[in-house]
Formats: sequence, structure tokens, C-alpha cells
Amino acid sequence: MGGTSETISSTFIEYAIFIVLLPMLAFPIILFLGHIFNGNQTWVKSAKEGGLIALPIMVASFVLSMLLISEFIGKGTGAHHIGDWLSFGWMSADGMTINEKVFGVGIYIDHVTVMLLFVASFLCMLINIFSIGYMNTDPVNDNRNHRFYAEFVLFCSGMLGMVLADSFLWLFIFWELMGLCSYLLIGFYYEKPSAAYAAKKAFLTTRVGDVFLVIGLVMLWNLFDSLDYAVVFNEDLIAQVDPGQLQLALGMMFIGAVGKSAQFPLHVWLPDAMEGPTPVSALIHAATMVNAGLYLVARMFPFFGAPSMAGELVDLAFIIAAIGGITAVMAAAIAFVQDDLKKVLAYSTMSQLAYIFTGLGAALWLANTPGMEKYAIVAFGAALFHLFNHAMAKGMLFMASGSVIHEMHHAHHDLHHHDDHGDDHHDDHHDDHFDAQSMENMGGLASKMPITATAMLVGSASIMGLPLIGGFWSKEGIIANAWRVAREEPLFLFPAFCVLLGAAMTGFYMSRMWLKTFAGKPKTEVAANVHENTPWIPIPLVTLTFVSLSSVILAGMMFTHWSSDSSYAFFSEKGLIDGLIYEFEHIFLNSDAFFFVLTYFVIFIGAIVGPGLAMALYGGSLKDGEKSKPWMQPIINLSSRVNAKRGFDNSAWANSGLSDALKERLYFDKWYDAAMLKLVAGFANISAAFDKNVVDGTIKTIESTSQKLSTQVRRLTTGSARDYIMMAALGVLVIYLMLEVMI
Amino acid sequence: MNIDYLSLMVILPILASIFLLILTSRLNPAARAKFDAPVRMASLIISLAMFVLATLMFLGQIGDVGWNDIAFNNFEFQESYVWIEQLGITWTVGVDGLSFPMVWLTTLLMPITIIATWNEKAGATYFPLMLMLGGALIGVFVALDMFMFYVFWELTLIPMFFMILKWGGKDRKYAAQKFFIYTFTASVIMLLGLLTMYFLMDTQTFSMQEMVVQASGANGNGVWLGLEVQKVLFIMLMLGFLVKLPAAPFHTWLPDAHVQAPTGGSMMLAGVMLKMGAYGMFRLPISLFPHALEEFRFIIMIIGLISLVWGAIVCLGQTNLKKMVAYSSVSHMGVILLGIASMQPLGWAAALFMMFAHGIISPMLFAVCGAFKHHYHSMEIGAMRGMAKHSPWLATSMMFGWMASLGLPLLAGFVAELMLMVAYWYAYGWWILLPGLVLAITAAYYLWSMQRTIFEGGEATQPPESLHGEPVPDIDNSEKIAMLLLAAFTILFGIMPWIFLDMMDMWTRSAMAFLGVGGA
Amino acid sequence: MIDPAWVSVLSAILFIIGVWGAFTRKNAIIVLMCLELILNAANLQFVAAAIQHGDATGWVYAIFAIAIAASEVAIGLAIFLAMYGQHETISLDDVNLLKH
Repeated sequence: MGGTSETISSTFIEYAIFIVLLPMLAFPIILFLGHIFNGNQTWVKSAKEGGLIALPIMVASFVLSMLLISEFIGKGTGAHHIGDWLSFGWMSADGMTINEKVFGVGIYIDHVTVMLLFVASFLCMLINIFSIGYMNTDPVNDNRNHRFYAEFVLFCSGMLGMVLADSFLWLFIFWELMGLCSYLLIGFYYEKPSAAYAAKKAFLTTRVGDVFLVIGLVMLWNLFDSLDYAVVFNEDLIAQVDPGQLQLALGMMFIGAVGKSAQFPLHVWLPDAMEGPTPVSALIHAATMVNAGLYLVARMFPFFGAPSMAGELVDLAFIIAAIGGITAVMAAAIAFVQDDLKKVLAYSTMSQLAYIFTGLGAALWLANTPGMEKYAIVAFGAALFHLFNHAMAKGMLFMASGSVIHEMHHAHHDLHHHDDHGDDHHDDHHDDHFDAQSMENMGGLASKMPITATAMLVGSASIMGLPLIGGFWSKEGIIANAWRVAREEPLFLFPAFCVLLGAAMTGFYMSRMWLKTFAGKPKTEVAANVHENTPWIPIPLVTLTFVSLSSVILAGMMFTHWSSDSSYAFFSEKGLIDGLIYEFEHIFLNSDAFFFVLTYFVIFIGAIVGPGLAMALYGGSLKDGEKSKPWMQPIINLSSRVNAKRGFDNSAWANSGLSDALKERLYFDKWYDAAMLKLVAGFANISAAFDKNVVDGTIKTIESTSQKLSTQVRRLTTGSARDYIMMAALGVLVIYLMLEVMI
Repeated sequence: MNIDYLSLMVILPILASIFLLILTSRLNPAARAKFDAPVRMASLIISLAMFVLATLMFLGQIGDVGWNDIAFNNFEFQESYVWIEQLGITWTVGVDGLSFPMVWLTTLLMPITIIATWNEKAGATYFPLMLMLGGALIGVFVALDMFMFYVFWELTLIPMFFMILKWGGKDRKYAAQKFFIYTFTASVIMLLGLLTMYFLMDTQTFSMQEMVVQASGANGNGVWLGLEVQKVLFIMLMLGFLVKLPAAPFHTWLPDAHVQAPTGGSMMLAGVMLKMGAYGMFRLPISLFPHALEEFRFIIMIIGLISLVWGAIVCLGQTNLKKMVAYSSVSHMGVILLGIASMQPLGWAAALFMMFAHGIISPMLFAVCGAFKHHYHSMEIGAMRGMAKHSPWLATSMMFGWMASLGLPLLAGFVAELMLMVAYWYAYGWWILLPGLVLAITAAYYLWSMQRTIFEGGEATQPPESLHGEPVPDIDNSEKIAMLLLAAFTILFGIMPWIFLDMMDMWTRSAMAFLGVGGA
Repeated sequence: MIDPAWVSVLSAILFIIGVWGAFTRKNAIIVLMCLELILNAANLQFVAAAIQHGDATGWVYAIFAIAIAASEVAIGLAIFLAMYGQHETISLDDVNLLKH
């Protein structure tokens, strides 16, 4: 598939480098200006502490990206070689000749790039707008927002660079750059020990994966003598490579993807990463950086699709799908018991990324199995489309959650301030430890924050896969293709069941989150006093709501068949209407009885069972006399009715050991911390002592022994002249005797 | 007019430093204090002039040299004078792709070190010693005569010894002695090796260039001096260089020397003096005894691995910031041995670039440590938290240096590590997991120390007791300039490594072809 | 003429007395005198050997030795005087400054 598409000419590809360079150059500029004008009123008001410098840059990057995308969407691949980065000598195995090898640098564009490029540049721009609303009204940030914007643009540069890079090497370089920005931004509130800890944890955990990624890249280089896509995707070259070696190399690289995309067992960093400011969570830890791992796996597609590799790489495909399956269920289960709004979303992110991994695993399996290649495109398209839907929805959800938290903070601040002067009654929650992120403190916000609530509703629906909205189309595709593989290969039953179960669980925890936050009566006085009044924030929320809702049109544009193959091209000959009809027929009236049943079963568990249970447990009507918007009121009413009729007591479950285990995140964090602390740190301390006492000690012993010896020798010098004479005489005698003996 | 620029670069700073030392030693203390500032300024000007000279040489403004085409055993700016006629000892200087980056690095670090320690109140003799050190180091790198090489090799010890002894920390006496004894013992063994080699040669010569020709002529059809002799000589020479590098288990002098040394001394020690060991390896044993190198490559690899892994693990167990950085140097120097052992032009180039990159990054690390000590009067990790708030410049410099040292892409260290990994996997396969492990451990100890210094703290945390209630300071302007310069060069060589990598690559390629070694 | 052997015996006796005295006596001046005895024993042997062999070299050596002994005595006495001035003793047991 990869090698067959034609290379097309392009005018904008030569300017594509600026998509990366503009934000990268903005980094030092914002930092420098911020350093100079820190605290200056003009800087705070007019430049929004750098926010309004970053915004035009991100808009420019977005426009350039769109121009580029418009040339490549649904077409072939394009490459623009900028130059050689490193050139070096390489001795042939027989030691006779030295050849010249290079690491190049350039731009590479195909259908995967296009998808990711749009997601990244679009969301970077929107979240920049959101940040201006969110960060600049936050009193905690006293004069450090320029740091936020500087690191923000550097991150955007890393993400866009990773997507546009033309080789695995530059993918890795930008990958690490993103890791750095992630580290810096998680630790944005550096004075909080929890933030410092979370930043370290995130960097270290992903670093473990990165080490394997480097090793994988090195192995790949040794197989192909190059890391450029244009070379390694060449089917003739792939044919000369040992499949076992290739599978190992790709497997190593996959571990890197596991770390970056927070999959089991390297998932522990993502929930803690929520210590960062909410825009960071939205951008880096939900919508873009965590997709890097998926992008890397998607990039491997040509290896699986190569005819010479047919049937050789299925093990790796299964591992990818299985890791996805495990994480999907595990993360969803942990999300059941989280009370922190952002943590629920974090686990949801993990779970949804796992879906995409399963989808990619299935696609890779199909591509690698003779006779199944024709389904691979569909599976691959579904996975990529889900990536798109998830990025849009999750970015929006995080921004909406940020909006909620922000307004909760403000409400709390105002109330608290008020309490200091008045003699109003005190609420127990009005202490300094008020948790603005806990859903236990919210409730009934639907009427007070209509835009946020709507955005959250649409986002949740998209993640849950409610029919016709957002993620529905892609999720159906992923589950169907997992099952398609499972029908051929029994091993795949495991991930297939996992994603099926995950669909129901997603329905439950997303509904739970929405209901606990927006439905029911306000649980605290703060929640009762929340208002939606921060500027800038609604812009991205509304935009993304429409994007998520318009997913049905995208489906009609054959996004689920996203590929470079022109027979499935974007806006294919079918046209929008025909495409829509095709998609509807395909999903709702599938001629294959198995998939027909599967579709309705998924809809049933994901859209009825899961939300139904959540309504029964957490539903409730708003405070008397308050009404939300007409599109939300029926849902709230329904939830309150279900809750009244079918509500049940779940305390037995809530107090069970499983629930405790889930609250403890299945003990992974504990074990990892313990391992680090006890094993690694312990060993390190022993080593340090060993180095000091034994290695250095040996030398010191030699030194002290010789010192002692010299002390003994020194005792001969008594200082008495007589002894010296005696010694001189003895010396003469000895010399005489020696002469006697020798001569 | 034909000026011998290289000899000038060696002699000028040494003469200047002797002149300044004599000048100041003749004065009484009160008058000497007045001379502090002029002497400091004079030292800076001389070192800057040398930097400009070296840069002009590189840019082709002085002499027209195609730096990227210098083949193995060819030298540019070569000049030779008779020194001791009876013994055939000459003063011969010249640079090639191996030595020029080191010369340039030395001239770069001298002014930066002087700037970084501008306000240390070290007195009038400190900066002349720095000049002498720089001159001696350049002498080591440009010397093409074995005798001259050895003379400058030992000469570097003298200023460093006095720097540690006079401006060092609490245990400076012990550290200075240890430093001297270790390196001196090693260099005596090396000297014995050199002399043995001299007497065994067919045509006795001190000229390194002629030696290489002689050795390769004999190595072409057989083994020069016989394999056993070659092995013994190889071991003797390598021992001298391994201690200097330092490689495990001879590394324990380094942490002591670093912890006690003054900031400027540490910067030069880590930046250039350690590289003398690696430079010597390439210049003598590797160039002369390729057969022995082939025999010992696995052992060299193991020593490198031990240094790399052991250094990193011990780092993790340190609570002293400077000691941690010192051990990280041990770890990074292991990379050089791995590069040599990979027997690929790429691996050798990785080793050379590691020398260079570490030469830029580690002075920054030690400058940060020095500033930390200077401002907080403590070296313990955790003594000062929340630096990001109190001393943002120092915190930024620290994070930058740490990140560069742990191999963040687009900074100089990454290039060397990447190249090494490629060559290493090719040569030793799954052994690569150990260097991989070290990449993770390196990140762990650096992040751990940052968590306890840069982060946390905030309003609630008190400044460390060692400050005695003084306000928490940030680094001063001279330190800022030094940090910015080092950071700028780290980025420059991270993004454009080819500036020096190309000439290193040419050297390694032609060396391997010339010596007839390498391959799987 | 006396048998040279007897001269050698006398010289040996003088030498032994000198060595014995140098090792055992405390007083620095007596030690110095004993050293002179040792030198004179050697001179005697030189002269005796010169006469026997009819070679003037022995006389020359003896004259050299006498000259050196004289200067040595001068230096030695000067040191002892200085020593007495400093420590008010010339007993060798009480003076062990060389140790330090």
C-alpha cells in the first residue's frame, strides 16, 4: 500500500518547514520578551503575557498546514529533502570498503501525515485561544505565563515537526522535544511537590519507552542503512530484510509508543500529568502528544503491507492489539471510581488510545495476512478516524473541564473573599483545601454553564459512540475489524472482547462524569454560584462542538477509509450523498449477519446499558426553578426519572476490595514507586558505598600501607650522630662483603 | 610573513602566565590586591585573542585549510624546529581532524571559564594559572613529537595541582595529592611504555608522524615489533590514558578532585583535561598498534561498559551535587571507550564527537555546581529547593545543562549518543541493552536532582540554613554570560554537528583505511 | 727495618680504638678525637705502604688526608661551639635534631 501510491508535485511543501520553524523561533522570543516585560501592564493586558504573540504564530502554522493538506488530502505521498544532517563513514562487514551513509532531514507527507497535521495544527491553535482565557485570568500564575506560552509554542513545534518529519530519526528527535515540553509544562506549578513528582514521573516513564525506541531505530537502521521513510518503505528493500529481525526492531519501537501513549504497563504517568495547567492536559496529554505513539505504529504500516513480509509480522500485530485491549478495559475500570474530573478524562484518554491501538493492531494483522489485505484499509481508516474523533472530542472535553474548574475556582475565590468581610454562615467546604476538580463538589452546573455543558455533552457522546455523533463511526469500525480478525485468528478474541467490554464501560463512566458534574442539585455552595464569564474560552468549545457533530459528514467523505489509495480517496467519485448512503448501509444494514448483530449490540451496550446504569446511580434533576438548554433538559429529566425508578444501592460494590484496588489504580503506581525506591535507589546507595569503600578503598589501602612502611623506615633515623656513624660503618662492611662475594 | 600560529598559541599563554606570576609575586600583598583586576583582564584578553585566532584558523581566514579533507597522519599548520639535537628531539606542531576540535574547544573554554569565575575574588595568581593550563593543554593537542607531548602532558598537572591546592574546598590537600599521584603514576607507566617503544624501534625517532609511517609499514605485512610486544606496549600506553580519562576502576580520583577543585578548575578539568586521555588513545596506541587494538577491543568495550553503567548507578546514589556530576563524567567517558571498541568509523567519530560535546556540556554542569555552591554555601542536593522561584537564571541553566547531559535531541550530546548506538549495535548486538539502561538511569538521576533543587519549595520553604538568613541570590551577570555562551554552543553543535563532525569523520574514515582495521 | 706487618697491626689497633671510641663516647670532642685516630690509622698505613713499595703516591694521600682532617677538625669544633652556645651541652645523647 505504502509503496504503490504515486508521488505528487506540490508548491507548498517547500514552505512546510516553516510550520515547524515558526513556533520554534517564537519560543526564545516569547521567553525573552516575557523576561524583559515581566509584570508590565501593557504586556499583561495587550500581549496577554505572550498569548497574543503565540496566537498569530499558531494561526500561521495552521494556515500553512491547511494549504499543504489541501494539496495532499486523499492523494499520493510527497517528500521534500532539505539536506543531509549527518554524514559518516561505515565500514563494510569484510573490513574492506568504507561507504558514506547519511542521516537526512526533510518533509514527508502522506495520508497519515495529513490526518495528524490537521489534528495537531488545528488543536494547537484552538487551545492557544483557550489558554488566553484560562491562564491569564488565573491569579496563581503570577507573572509566569510567558513561560507557559514559550513552552507551549515549543511543544507545538515538536508535535508538528514529528508529524512532518521524513525519517524515523527526526520523528524521534521531535518526539523527545515534546517529552521535554511535557515535562516542563507538567511542572509548571513548580512549587507544588506533587507537580514536581508528576513531571519527573512522566519524563522517566516515557524515557523507559524511548530507550527501547532508540534501540529499535538503531536496529532498523542496521537493517536498511537508513531511517528515511522513502527508503525503508521501499518494498524491494523490505524484501531483502530478515523478517524476524524486522519484527524485533518494530517491536522495540512499539515499546516506545507504549510509553508515549500511556499504555499498559507504562501508563502510570498520564493521570499524574494532570498536575499541569488544564490547557496542557487538553493539548499534550489528550489530543496531540499521546497520539505520537499511535502515529509511530501507523507509520509501520508499509512494513506489514509489504508482500515479502506476508504472515511474518502477525505476532507483533497481535501484541499491539492485545496491549490495546488490556489498557482499554483496565483504564475504563479505573475511571469508574475517579472523582477528580480531569483524572476521569485522563483514564478515558488512555482507554480510547487503547482502542486505536487495537484498531491499528487489527489493521496491521489484516495487512500482513494474505487474502485479507483489502480489509486492512478499512481497519486502518477506522483507527485513524478514531484518532481524529478522539483528539477533537477529548481536546474539547478537557477544555470544558478546564472551564468548569476555572469557574469553580473563581466562584470559590469570590465566596471566600466575601466570607472574610461578611458574617454570612460558613460552609464547611470553604476551607483552603477546597478541591475545585472534584466532582463531589459539583453538580447541577448544566443551567449555569450552558456552553460548557453542551460541549461536554457532545464530547462525551462522541467518546461513548452514541449513534451518528463523532466517535461512533470510527469506534464501530474498530470493533468490527477486531472481530473480523478474531473470526480468522482465535487469539484475537481477547482484544476483540476487550474492546466490546470497553464500549459498555465507556458508556458508563462518561455518563457518570457528565451527570455528576452537570445534573442533579449542586453539592456545594460554590457549585451553586458558578458563572460562565471568562472570555476566549467559549470560542474553541463551540468550534469543536460543531466539528464533533459534523462527524457524520466526515464519515460521508469516506474518512473511515482514510488511505492514500485513490480508489478510497477523500471525496471519492461517490460524492458526499452517495458516500453517506454507503456508510449508513454499511453500518446499519450490513449484509453480513455477524456484523449486523455486532453493530446493534455495540449500540445497545454503549448507548443504552452503560448510560442507563450511570443514570440509575447518579441521575437527578436540577435545583428547583432552574432550567438548562432545551437539548440538555430531556437528558437530565430522563436521568432523574431513571434514577427515581431504577436507582439501586451500589454501596456493596463501592466498598468492595475491587473498588479499593481501582481507587489505588490497581497498585501499579505503588509497585513502581516501591521498585524505584527500594530496588533502584537501594542498589544505587550500595553501589555508591561500594565505590567509596572498596574501589577507592583499595587504592587507599595501598596508600596507607606504604605510609605505614615508611613510618617504620623512618624509625631508623634516631637523630643520634653515633647511630649514623654505626650505620655508615655497617654500610662499608656490607659493600666490602658484597665485593668479596662477587669478585 | 609566515607565523607559526600553533606554537604561538602554546607559548603565548604560558609566557604570559609566567610573566604575570613573577610580576605579582614581587609585590607586597597590598599592592598585589590592586593588581587583581588588571591581571584578570589581561588573562581574559589573552585567552580571547587565542579564541579569535583559533576561530580564524577554522574559518580559513588564517591559512587556507580544507579542514574536512585532512587525511590520517597529515597535518596542517605543521612547523618543526630542532630542540635537543643529540637525541633527535624536535619541537613539532601541527593539527588534524582529531586535534583541531580539541584545540578550538580549549581556546573556547578558557575565556568562558575566566568569565564564569570573574567575581570569585580568587586573587592575582588564579587567572595566570588558568592561562598556563590552557597553553599546556593546547601543547598536548598540537605536539607531534613524543617528547614534547610528554612534557606538555606533565605540564598540565602543575597548574591544576596548584589550583586545587590553593583554591579548593575543605579537603583540597588530599584531593590535590590524590589527583597528582594517580595521574602521575599513570603517566610514568606511559612514559616507560613510550621509552620502551623508542628503544625497540628500527629507526629511532621521536616524531609521531614518522612513527606511524614506520608502524604501518611493518603492520602491513606482519605485526610491528611482534604481537606480544605490541600488546604489552598497548597496555602500558592505554593504562596512562585510561586513568586520565578516567575509566573504571581508576576513576575514584575524579570525584574527589572535582568536589574540591574551584569552579574554574572543575570546568577545565572536565571540559578538556579528561579528553587528553581519549586524545592520547587515538594519537598513540590506536594509531600505532592496530593489531593489539583488534586483540583488546572486547576488553576495552567491557571497561567502557563498566565505566558507563557503574558511573551512572553510582550517580544515582550521590547526595552531593558536584559528585553526581563528576560521576556522570565517568559515565560519559565510558561512551568514548565503547566508540573505540565498536571498530567502525562511525563509532570512532562518535567517540570524538562525545569528547567535543562533553567538553562543552560538562563545563556548564560544573559552572552550575559552582554557582550553586557559591550562592547557597552548600553542595547537598535538597539543601535548596524551589530554585525556579528564587534563582530563575540558575534554575534555567541547571535544567538546560542537565537536559543536554542526558542526551536531549538537538543538543550536542545527543548526536554522539545516537551515532554510538548505531555503531555499537552493529558491533555487539544485544549488549546495547546496557547503554540503553544507562540512558534511563541518567535521566533518573538528573531528574531526581532537579526535583529536589529546581522544583518544590515555593513560599513555604525556608532558604537553606547555610545562607544564615541572607536573601537568596541569583547568579551574577558574568555567570549569566558564561552560561548563555555555553548553552548557545551546545545548541549550535546539537543542530549543526557537522561543523566539526565532518573533519572528525574524515579523520576516522582515513584512519581506519590507513590502519586496515574495522569491520565486523 | 720494622716488618710492615707490625705497622699494619699498629694501624689496625689505632683504627679499632678510634671506632670504639666514636661509637661509645658521649662527649663530642672525644668522638672527634676518635675520628682523628681513625684517619691517622689510615695515614700510617698509607705511609708504611709507600715506604715498602717505594711509591710516593702514599705520601701524597697521607698529606691530603692530614689537610682534610685539619679542616674537618676546624669545622667540627666550630659546630660544637655553636652547639654549646645553643644547648649548653656537647653531649651527643642530648642532641638529636637530625631526627626532626
